[in-house]
Amino acid sequence: MSFINYSSREINCKIVYYGPGLCGKTTNLQFIYKKTNPEQKGKLISLATETERTLFFDFLPLALGDIRGFKVRFHLYTVPGQVFYAASRKLILKGVDGVIFVADSQIERMEANMESLEDLKINLAEQGYAIEKLPYAVQYNKRDLSNVAPLEEMNKLLNANGVQWFEAVAPTGTGVFETLKSVAKQVLLELKKHY
Amino acid sequence: MVVGCPKCKIKLKVADEKLTPEGIRFKCPKCSTVLLVKKPAVQIKPLENKIIVAHENPAIVERVNKLLTQKGYSVIVSYDGIDTMIKAVKELPFLAILDVALPKIYGFEVCKRLKERAETKEIKVILISSIYDKTRYRREPTSFHGADDYIEEHEIEHLLMDKIDVVRGVKPKEEIAEKPKEPVVEKPQPKVEMPAPPKVEAVLKAAAPQAVPPLKPEIKVEADEAVEKARRLARTIIADIYLYSSSKMEEAIKNNNFYTVFASEVKEGTKLYDGRISPEVRSKGNFFREAIDNFIENKKKVLKI
Repeated sequence: MSFINYSSREINCKIVYYGPGLCGKTTNLQFIYKKTNPEQKGKLISLATETERTLFFDFLPLALGDIRGFKVRFHLYTVPGQVFYAASRKLILKGVDGVIFVADSQIERMEANMESLEDLKINLAEQGYAIEKLPYAVQYNKRDLSNVAPLEEMNKLLNANGVQWFEAVAPTGTGVFETLKSVAKQVLLELKKHY
Repeated sequence: MVVGCPKCKIKLKVADEKLTPEGIRFKCPKCSTVLLVKKPAVQIKPLENKIIVAHENPAIVERVNKLLTQKGYSVIVSYDGIDTMIKAVKELPFLAILDVALPKIYGFEVCKRLKERAETKEIKVILISSIYDKTRYRREPTSFHGADDYIEEHEIEHLLMDKIDVVRGVKPKEEIAEKPKEPVVEKPQPKVEMPAPPKVEAVLKAAAPQAVPPLKPEIKVEADEAVEKARRLARTIIADIYLYSSSKMEEAIKNNNFYTVFASEVKEGTKLYDGRISPEVRSKGNFFREAIDNFIENKKKVLKI
């Protein structure tokens, strides 16, 4: 749920990048950080090990314009993808306004994608959210690799509701901003509905 | 029939006429272990003109069905993975044409299971995928969950009959581009093969033979979504452990000490697995241990150990 600070005239929204281990959630955030103007962004906080394993979360505050005189600030979070970190994921999902599900396109990671999506649905449901009602988009990352699954199959397995999806190669930025914009737009529409 | 005692390893002769499919029990004269000797099950070869076609989309099932019926095949149709497993075990077709992403149990998982089960491992599998013009996605069928071949949806009319001939062994793979030939439809009679070696199980010494409950039928369809989910979680856990410690794990597999080196990860994994999977499903089998052992076996093959 977005947080509105009337005194500083700020609206803070939370977008969470979800997905299986090493699917490229942190890489998405790193690219966004690299390509955003310094005045728009805060510090990228990353709690990760040298093996690229996110221990708790990554966090990036991002200013994306104004709504009726209120500055809209997006807080981008990633979750640790490894199956063991279910408790951290639950915690990070609290108060979420939008979710980006980053899927690893490699055929051998298909089961991990399905498991992570299942985990996302369970964790959202525990907090009273339904994935169908939340601003949400799917990103098929690592499309540059040779062993990727076809998009039709990925959509069938991971996007039964037919939400907006994007092909991405996160290190080069392909599809990164497109995915973020899609969910940010949906979050803003929700905000307008309620305020 | 000669059987070996699993405990003391001595060879014992058992009169064939005493054997039943349910098995007979007797004590090993040397170590007193109670042995259960079963009459070997008669191996039934899959029916050679029967094919099961499974796809979520009824239009595609109908397309394939029409094509196969015209060529004289008897076709069983199915629209989800569970139904496919049940029908495949019951009807024993010689070929299963499966959609990769079947509902309930994915087609590639059905394929893997058919290939694992003794009574269905002879069934050939062709996977249907919806890939269009993306050659870079293509993989050799052997690495595609054990399927014998695969076909893309748009190729069904042109290539399916040829591919069937190839898996039947009536046409070499190189001739696949040639004009399709009429399939040789053989008599739909099950073939009786030579019996397999007898199964011997050691049971508790103390158990009195008459107190032992009757054996459950061996053919049991594990068409259970909850079990499948448990298996998938188990596979994901072990794949995740590998993902973050691949070289360490390969080293442990090479040195044959995986369970020692990865004791804490296995413990953590078991905790997670037990927390997510209901006791009822867990009572059906140790799927986490099974997933680890399969993973190690596959890695050994890849690493050529």
